[in-house]
Amino acid sequence: MDLYQLAKEETLVPLAKRGDPAAQEAIYRAFETPVYGLARRICRTREDAEDVMQETFLEVFKSLPRFRGDGSLWGWIRRIASSKALMRLRRNKYRDTDELEPEVGGGPKENPALRMDLEAALERLSDTARAVVWLHDVEGYTHDEIAKMMDRSVSFSKSQLARAHARLRRWLGEEVVA
Amino acid sequence: MSHLSLDQLIELRELGSEPGRDTAQAHLQQCGVCRAEAERLDQRVARLRALPTPRPSRSRFLETRAAFVRSRRKSYVQRGGVVGLALAASLVLAVGLREGRSPLGETAPVAQADSELAEVMARSRDLENAIRLYDPESRILDGRTAGITLRLEDQLSAVDRQLEMLSTLGQLHTSRRHEQLRLWRERVGLLDALMDVHLTRASFAGL
Repeated sequence: MDLYQLAKEETLVPLAKRGDPAAQEAIYRAFETPVYGLARRICRTREDAEDVMQETFLEVFKSLPRFRGDGSLWGWIRRIASSKALMRLRRNKYRDTDELEPEVGGGPKENPALRMDLEAALERLSDTARAVVWLHDVEGYTHDEIAKMMDRSVSFSKSQLARAHARLRRWLGEEVVA
Repeated sequence: MSHLSLDQLIELRELGSEPGRDTAQAHLQQCGVCRAEAERLDQRVARLRALPTPRPSRSRFLETRAAFVRSRRKSYVQRGGVVGLALAASLVLAVGLREGRSPLGETAPVAQADSELAEVMARSRDLENAIRLYDPESRILDGRTAGITLRLEDQLSAVDRQLEMLSTLGQLHTSRRHEQLRLWRERVGLLDALMDVHLTRASFAGL
């Protein structure tokens, strides 16, 4: 069951397909936060995330007549939002390498106060790695789906995820000291 | 067997039957170090999922809706909608002028209306071109401007739909011809207002 749902979807979607402003607004209000949240986790800046949100809903309104309702509305909107966010990453090419190792002294065991929090560690990942982690671990896309959205191979997606977790583990101070 | 790598632990969280999966699974059952690592991985993913959802600082529905209406009208214009309407009206006018009378045989008042119609249509075309050159889609609109342009573009779409309906009725009766003229005038008024909104906004912004 979807986390995000639209009340009265069966009546609102046909109206929105015809361009009804009130129905479009209801869809917008129901999904603006999850769409923005997804975009914000993938994009580097708030402004980019807001642009992605607008591009997503513009696409949703334009393409709704082609939405057949095979899957959930949120699943369909989320796919559009993910694609738009990834397109924005490609266009901006902000940063595609992880930041330098954070200065956490001799290791997490030695100085736990310097461990990074998860938000900061996520931010520190390269754009591609962060996007893969978010789409796979949080949004639940498979490597196959991610590879298609990113126009890359499945093994690329898998290796990005593994490398990202290795870094997160280190930055969060979770590495086991043998 | 040495401990499982992070890649292998991640792989085990997936559904699937990759080679070596059973062996890795068996090792995980027996090895406390790998189980602890797998648990940390699970916890990390759970923490990622529990991160708060960032919220947008403001709603951009009006801008989005305005962009949607604009794109719909643009595609209507590109498909020849407005040109088609103007062409249909022009043909009626041309027939009347060639025959030295209005298309339905009426005389001076209708001929005057036809002449006015030609002028209004030309004005509409000029304004449409001016707005296209201004290229509002490439400009960022504030919420208030977006709201106004949205209302105007919605009204324009409604007028275009009425003109389209009239054009499907073929040769126009006098009352319908006046209705057509009225609609084209309304169209020009709305395009004028739309241009004003863009120019006023531009002057405020110092563009």
